[in-house]
Amino acid sequence: MFEIVQGDNGRVVFSGRLDAAQCAKAQAFLDAAADPREFDFAGLEYISSAGLGVLLRAHKKVMASGGKLRLVNVNNHIFDIFRYSGFDQLFEVERLA
Amino acid sequence: MNDAAKASDGLSQDKLRRILEVTRDLARPFDLSTMLYTIVDAAKDLLDAEGGTVWQYQPADDMLEMRVARGLDAIRIPADRGIVGECVRTRAPINVPDCYADPRFNRDVDKASGQRTRCMLSLPLVGYDDQLVGVLQVVNRREGVFDADDEAVASALAAQCAVALQRMQMTEQLMASEKLRQEISVAREVQMGTLPKAPPSLPDYDFAGLFKPTDDTGGDTYDFVPCDDGRIFVLMGDATGHGIGPALSATQVRAMLRVAQRLGANLDDAFRHINDQLVVDLAEDRFVTAFLGQLDPRNHTLHYHSGGQGPLLHFRAADLSCEFSPPTTFPMGAMILPAMKPAKVAHLEPGDVFALISDGVYEYMDGQERQFGEEGVAELLRRYHDRPMPYLLGRLMEALREFGQGAPQLDDVTVVLIRRLPLAKPLLEDFEERTTRAGTSWQRRQEFKRSFDALPGVFAFIQRCLAQDGIGPDARYAVEFTVEELFTNMVKYNADGSGRIALEIERDDGHLECRLSDPDSGFFDVTAAPDADVNASADQREPGGLGLHLIRRMVENLDYDYSGRRSLITFRKRLGSD
Repeated sequence: MFEIVQGDNGRVVFSGRLDAAQCAKAQAFLDAAADPREFDFAGLEYISSAGLGVLLRAHKKVMASGGKLRLVNVNNHIFDIFRYSGFDQLFEVERLA
Repeated sequence: MNDAAKASDGLSQDKLRRILEVTRDLARPFDLSTMLYTIVDAAKDLLDAEGGTVWQYQPADDMLEMRVARGLDAIRIPADRGIVGECVRTRAPINVPDCYADPRFNRDVDKASGQRTRCMLSLPLVGYDDQLVGVLQVVNRREGVFDADDEAVASALAAQCAVALQRMQMTEQLMASEKLRQEISVAREVQMGTLPKAPPSLPDYDFAGLFKPTDDTGGDTYDFVPCDDGRIFVLMGDATGHGIGPALSATQVRAMLRVAQRLGANLDDAFRHINDQLVVDLAEDRFVTAFLGQLDPRNHTLHYHSGGQGPLLHFRAADLSCEFSPPTTFPMGAMILPAMKPAKVAHLEPGDVFALISDGVYEYMDGQERQFGEEGVAELLRRYHDRPMPYLLGRLMEALREFGQGAPQLDDVTVVLIRRLPLAKPLLEDFEERTTRAGTSWQRRQEFKRSFDALPGVFAFIQRCLAQDGIGPDARYAVEFTVEELFTNMVKYNADGSGRIALEIERDDGHLECRLSDPDSGFFDVTAAPDADVNASADQREPGGLGLHLIRRMVENLDYDYSGRRSLITFRKRLGSD
């Protein structure tokens, strides 16, 4: 199960599992989202490499408008993925407390 | 008569010319009646007679029919009656100078016409292939009686007339059969046009229907009629006999059901009123065997009356059994129904099939007069019940053809299949899961369809495998991530491959070993893919290639093997302390 909803102040809340079968849903949401600033991953259990592709594309879109994306409440597994892939260099990442 | 004016066979030049003129006239295309008038007029003219008749011989029932004689009604008589009958028998001219003195003379014709026949000359009309076409009779020579000259003239005329008449009869028969053929083909078009164009579409049901007549038209019909409340009338009918008559009756039943539905009739009323109307309309020896049911897809019941239509087949998916039930009441149109028995109910469980199959299928014959029978149908149901119903129908038709071994189809074949689909299962259950154990190690294997839709099933399988040994979230994440990456690559880069992708997970001591195999793929060595540049800036980076880069860091012993289009990817994951 994967859910993505708009929160307050440019926050987008992710929950569940972002796998290859869910990427189209996430992509469509983010393409339509107005000026996202922060992705809240507190409820996100799993992300696959296809999910990383969605994040990369969202990041490029935000950068093109002069902004920057913060990823917050990232769990250990997903943080490892970010580290292996160098995504921790691209985004401002804040681990789950 | 002037000898010099006579031709060699004794005909005068004048009469010979008249016969040739008649021959020319007879060669002109016109209808049979005009031809008969032309023959009679020519005979009267040539032989100076007051009247004339052509009797047409009808070999089917050995009768003679007089279709034309000026001023007389048409008459049919047995072909052995009277002087004309004698002419049929002997195929020779008969010249009777005084009819009332001849015992063979049939006076009934005079009684009917009010005329008096004095003398009469009868000539057989024999066609080109020596077949008797009829008899030409001329009566009452204006002066005296018919003589030998007249016989010669009449014989020459008769020879011409016989051939022309025969040709005309054959032409008219051809035209009649062609007209009939066209009418039948229109009737068939109308009848087939009343059959459902497509079966109804319901989420929990699969339908199929087929009508295959023996003749150009047959007496069967079927229909699915959706009601406003979501229920569906299901009709299957078979009018006695074949051809246009029964086809009209079958079409009438279907039309009455449609009107009944439009008027909001319930099942009982629809059945009763259609029956009662047929009693009024049909001849006493005619009826229509008909199943009329109403399927309620909300509670999966099929209420029905079956007037003489049976056996009805309820296939139960739970135990693969076939229950055959007899009709519930009399055929439609047989008698007025004073009161209806309550409808019977079939409860359709998931996977059940209710099959309405005409006796044309059960009684389908092979060359040795054996019938296809209930067992033949049951066997097919057991084998193909879980396939789409149009597929099952196709196999049934194929089985009938094979069973018949070229014997002609003797009866209309009509089939209506209603299947309640099995309850939706998780994708995981689509394919068999296999587990083997030895000591503390185990091995599980499952196959998945080549689709992103299979991913939830893949994850569920991994979670089931890993949960049983309490394997922790670190290993689980790495296995899920790696399997997803490899599986989606197989789907993405080899979408047209055949066969399912198998995932095998094995536990031994401190490791999990996972094997993904694709039976039909091109060569792609995942271990040889270049690492992604993880230090590049965002605008230089593309998502592709990242997955393989990551899994090489998350799992160990990644291996690729390719042989005979089969790709096998193996990796191991060390089980840590978590």
